[in-house]
Amino acid sequence: MAAVEEQVRVLLADEQALFREAMRVVLSSQDDLQVVSEAKDGQQAVAEAVRVQPDVALLDAMLPNGDGIHAAAQIADRVPTCRVIVFSGQEDERVLLDALEAGAAGYLSKESPLVDLIEATRAVHRGEALVPPRMLGAVLQRLIQRRRERDAALRRVGGLTRREREVLGLLAQGADNDEIAQRLVISPETARTHIQNMLGKLGVHSRLEAAAFVVQNAVMDELTEVAT
Amino acid sequence: MNASLRPRFPVRKPDLWLRQSDSENAIFDPATDKVHLLNATAVAIWTLCDGGTTPAEMVQAVCDLSGLPEDVAEEDVMRVLVEFGDAGILTWREFDRGDDEAEGA
Repeated sequence: MAAVEEQVRVLLADEQALFREAMRVVLSSQDDLQVVSEAKDGQQAVAEAVRVQPDVALLDAMLPNGDGIHAAAQIADRVPTCRVIVFSGQEDERVLLDALEAGAAGYLSKESPLVDLIEATRAVHRGEALVPPRMLGAVLQRLIQRRRERDAALRRVGGLTRREREVLGLLAQGADNDEIAQRLVISPETARTHIQNMLGKLGVHSRLEAAAFVVQNAVMDELTEVAT
Repeated sequence: MNASLRPRFPVRKPDLWLRQSDSENAIFDPATDKVHLLNATAVAIWTLCDGGTTPAEMVQAVCDLSGLPEDVAEEDVMRVLVEFGDAGILTWREFDRGDDEAEGA
């Protein structure tokens, strides 16, 4: 007996019902693809992704009520098995980079023929990244830049003492001087001194900037060991 | 840094023309009147040959994007760079003091 090929379960999200219908018709014409849900805005897309657990979600970047990039990030976080493709009206480098950073596996322009959706859906389901060839250089450049920034941030964090890393970790979690002092069993004055030293070593000018440094450079893991 | 471990940076030969269309990518070298046809990956690597990006960084970015194993990505990137060198459209810049400063910044 021949093995039954498992279908790829797809979620479609676009504000325009006509475009969703067109995508559904194209994808449903393939035996190995099945459209299991549709959404017309960002919030609904996330809710449907959580509910139906699709293999692939196709999201318009310009969805109302929580755009496609935001929805892609939410889906990547809450349904990690789902591979996301973001599409936009024209090839847009900014949208592509934002989508990939949000956790999307691919990007497609609405200028592409609708049938390209078929191979794109299969490709991301196979685990491939989907980037328009002409935009590949810019994407690689951005990834290199991001890694350099993170390496530089790690070097700066590496220059902090253990106590200063603890203070930074707590500060990034929203703790004030008194909370930091309480958690670390030190006086508020000592906490303030650690904060000032830490700000100076990081080269930032405020607690807010320090907290943003942690988030932007994704270095919380380097601090959580001592801050939790 | 130990001199033998210092990276080298690939640099595009100046004054070349890159022409991209949906169907092909071509580099024209007016000095030799030669045209080199490149696939999309080679063009992407070509754009990274800015004299400030190491092959190791290119390999890491390809891995980050594609999920390819590092040895496979390294083989692909190095093959493309060697082909650029053989075609005479790429030179290499040695690591210098300014790179040290940039790295420590």
